[in-house]
Amino acid sequence: MYQVKIGLIHIVITTMLTLGAIAILASIIYTSSILAFIGLGLIFWGAILTYVKPEEHIKKTILEAALSPSHSTLHQVIQELAYRGNATYLPPKYFKNPETTRIYIPKLKGDTTLPTPEQIQEHEHKLFAQNPQGITIAPPGLQLSKLVEKSLGTSFIQTDLNYLQQNLPKPLIEELEVAENIEIQVQEEKTGKKTNVEQTTSQPKSITVNVKITNSIYANLYRETETPTQSLTSIGCPICSAIAIALTKASGKPVKIKQIQSSEDDNTTEATYEIAEE
Amino acid sequence: MDFPLTFWDISLWLAVTAIVLLITSELISPYYGRTNLLINKKRLKNTALTVSILFLATVTIRIANIIINP
Repeated sequence: MYQVKIGLIHIVITTMLTLGAIAILASIIYTSSILAFIGLGLIFWGAILTYVKPEEHIKKTILEAALSPSHSTLHQVIQELAYRGNATYLPPKYFKNPETTRIYIPKLKGDTTLPTPEQIQEHEHKLFAQNPQGITIAPPGLQLSKLVEKSLGTSFIQTDLNYLQQNLPKPLIEELEVAENIEIQVQEEKTGKKTNVEQTTSQPKSITVNVKITNSIYANLYRETETPTQSLTSIGCPICSAIAIALTKASGKPVKIKQIQSSEDDNTTEATYEIAEE
Repeated sequence: MDFPLTFWDISLWLAVTAIVLLITSELISPYYGRTNLLINKKRLKNTALTVSILFLATVTIRIANIIINP
């Protein structure tokens, strides 16, 4: 069906360009401005149609059908191996190649201890870590984050949180069209820490980032997974994961997805990230 | 056997085309919500802006002509 449509577009474009050229030639021969306008219009719109022809598009239902089994498999693997901790997106300093990003999921629920960069680098390409016990996997939004980096023309490592807040939504909405709207809000929670009787210093305790995603193309991904585990929820959907990768690379600190909430009609997803202080 | 359109005819044609393209690119913008049209929106937007700039260039030439040859 798609091939038929493409073939039809080619025929329409060729006809417009040919008729346009004939009309221009006739306008010169008969000195007719009307023919000239018709010819210009046909050639112009023929050229425009050639130029704005779509890149490769796939239907949303096919995308969901292709993604869903791998998502369910990831869910099953994590559940059966009993990795119950919250996922943490590790920053580039944990890896030999600074462009690498992986997720670390501890074995025990509530375990907040992160391995050291040396421990991760020792087993960088291995799935399971023994000390502390956990699993390191590639994030589901890894390739999406690379596409965003390509659109922005920069690596997230060279950016900061302010840059992400202002520039991250545009490629996701306008270029990649994976969501209709994305709002990013950064909140710094400061705490008063007494160093001695008279001096009180205020320093950032943790940074919370709230992201509101409207009409994401991955909104129905969780429907197939009946009861997503805590670990799976903390990994997030591909867009949430790509944003977490951007945050961890830009801040250089581990990032956790604290909460993901979807509206009843699945139109809006609100994700809360915590940039952990080390 | 001359081309029947003058410089000002081309200018008018550019103006009309620019308006049509700009309105189309705004209507199919992801912010407006009609994202299911299968065309390369970025290229359409660039074409609309290019045609608008060409029209503005013809206007500038016209103004310059009026100033130089009053």
